[in-house]
Amino acid sequence: MIGKRKRDTSVVSRSIKTKDQEDTPTAVDSSYQDVFRKFFEAEFEPLEVPGGKIARAEESEEDDEDGLEDSEIGSDWDGISAEEDEVNTVEVVDHADSSANAELPLDKKARKAFMTAKLPSFSWDQTTAKRSPTKDEDGDEDKVSDANNLKNDLALQRLLQESHLLESGSDLAPTGKNRLKALDLRMQSLGAKTSLYHQQNMPSSQRRGIKAKAEKKEDKRRVEARENGIILEKQAPKTKSTQGRRERGVGGPSIGKFTGGTLNLSKQDLWKAGL
Amino acid sequence: MATSQPPLRFTGHHNFVYRLVFATLAGRTVHISQIRSSNPTNPGLAPHEISFLRLLDAVTNGSQMEISYTGTIVVFKPGLITGCAAGVGGNSSGVINHELPANCTRGVSYFLLPLCLLAPFSKAPLRVQFTGPGVITSATPTGDMSVDSVRTAILPLYNQFGIFNNIELRILRRSNPGPRGGGGAGEVQLVFGHQIRLAKTLHLMNPGRVKRIRGVAYAVGVSGSNNARMIEAARGVLNPLVPDTYVFSDVSSAPLVPAPEKNNPAAKKKVGLGFGLSLVAESSTGCLYSADVISPVSGGQAPEDIGKQCAYQLLEVVAKGGCVAPAAAPTMLGLMTMGSEDVGRIQVGRDVIADESMIQLARDLTKFGAPGWGLRDAAGENENGDVVISVVGRGIGNVGRKVA
Repeated sequence: MIGKRKRDTSVVSRSIKTKDQEDTPTAVDSSYQDVFRKFFEAEFEPLEVPGGKIARAEESEEDDEDGLEDSEIGSDWDGISAEEDEVNTVEVVDHADSSANAELPLDKKARKAFMTAKLPSFSWDQTTAKRSPTKDEDGDEDKVSDANNLKNDLALQRLLQESHLLESGSDLAPTGKNRLKALDLRMQSLGAKTSLYHQQNMPSSQRRGIKAKAEKKEDKRRVEARENGIILEKQAPKTKSTQGRRERGVGGPSIGKFTGGTLNLSKQDLWKAGL
Repeated sequence: MATSQPPLRFTGHHNFVYRLVFATLAGRTVHISQIRSSNPTNPGLAPHEISFLRLLDAVTNGSQMEISYTGTIVVFKPGLITGCAAGVGGNSSGVINHELPANCTRGVSYFLLPLCLLAPFSKAPLRVQFTGPGVITSATPTGDMSVDSVRTAILPLYNQFGIFNNIELRILRRSNPGPRGGGGAGEVQLVFGHQIRLAKTLHLMNPGRVKRIRGVAYAVGVSGSNNARMIEAARGVLNPLVPDTYVFSDVSSAPLVPAPEKNNPAAKKKVGLGFGLSLVAESSTGCLYSADVISPVSGGQAPEDIGKQCAYQLLEVVAKGGCVAPAAAPTMLGLMTMGSEDVGRIQVGRDVIADESMIQLARDLTKFGAPGWGLRDAAGENENGDVVISVVGRGIGNVGRKVA
């Protein structure tokens, strides 16, 4: 019987019936139960005889037998004999467990959402797959057209700003060196202080040359415009770089120049000092 | 906080923590006497109650308490709830480390629930780490819920009061009750970073229908197959009723505590072995119901039984009706009382309100100066024999916030 008990754990839906069958007392059992019952009733109150239960169990066994015979009509097997039935009762093992059927692969996201230290988000499935398609269906055309409009708008803006870089009318996006220049322009429009390609260190004569050239160009443009009667933008006021006294380092002499281990005072210095 | 009012007098050890919590929130001195005075062997405060007083002392500033020689009388004069402001309370990282003694038989949720009730009204965010040989993260035979249930069934309720930011309950190490129901050396960290002036007024009248069930099966120091067996049994009961049922499994090793012997002073032993299941049902209107069952300390119960028992317990809690599970009722009603001066309403099951501890809670709250609850039968479509409790907020709220 012990082995049987163990197997009962895997029996799910019909386990009650098998238990009933096990409980069905044999003739020997009932005799000593009667003795106990009589003794108990002598001491206390009369008991209700659990006769109905036994009868039901027997009935069900018979039903089982009938069912089996019906299903086996046509075969040469002629049913289960009564003696066999008593020895090994039919044990119905139902492997179609409801929970086993419904066993789904546990969603990792769901686990993550639930098993964190934070408060569990019971509404995670709204953020994942389930929600997204419904959202698309709802928003549908409006959202798509909005996104398209934005994209086209940006492309137009860029074309207007960077068209001077384009070499031919065929390709609307700058390529190669021009692409880098366009990127630089975008950076500047986004707030970069200077161009990425502004050369910081170069010979002073060269820099001055470049500056002079730019000034000359600008002047020429202005002159031509004036001659042709074109009104240009106002010239930005030139910030005069003060060529005066440069800020000196700390700890230098307050008067004169210290060179070669000697303090040299000019006439002006002497006049300043009142000598 | 200096109060010239005479102390409120209570007797008995029932509802001890909530009395102290409401004393702190209301700023009234309490005098609790006859604490287990008739108990010849263990009179006075129990270890967990002493521990709670210590915790209260740690999170407040200026609390004073006097405990009589036998521990049967406590006078508690509350201070301001400061939490863990920089340099005040806690260690260098601003975390209060609260150590529970090994003879503490209550789960850590015994401390967490009242602490969470205090935390929204503290001056600074609250960070408390529970350590020591007495931390039981699972449910306990003494009736405490597991930490998982606190996190999944109690803390989300604060959302309804406008408290939702930066709340974390981290289970660093799990533990079941140790031998003879004593401590289990787990580790839990609570971060409660959302402080408010006043709790929002709550109107919760529609319980809705249970739409999903989630749960955590935990096995500490025992085989993880116990989890699978519990989950299968629980799902066998619940799946036909609610198809959206997931129970997650968490297997961890048992915590080690030092157990020095004569010839091996560095010896350690494993405590807090066992397994358990925590289930949470969420209704369509956001009401949460939870159930907790663990393996008995003495062992000898099959995981299938635990799983089935827990599922049935969950069904029972849901069957009690209303918008609040019995375990969450003190929290909800406490927060409603601490709300703005407006009438909040909440629908509860008849069995939930007709509970001894709930009646005691109502009496205690009136003693602390809260207006009495208004009870009437629920009407309309969500009736089911429920009762609607009307609670008037006190409008005091967070004293620390008012000053700051």
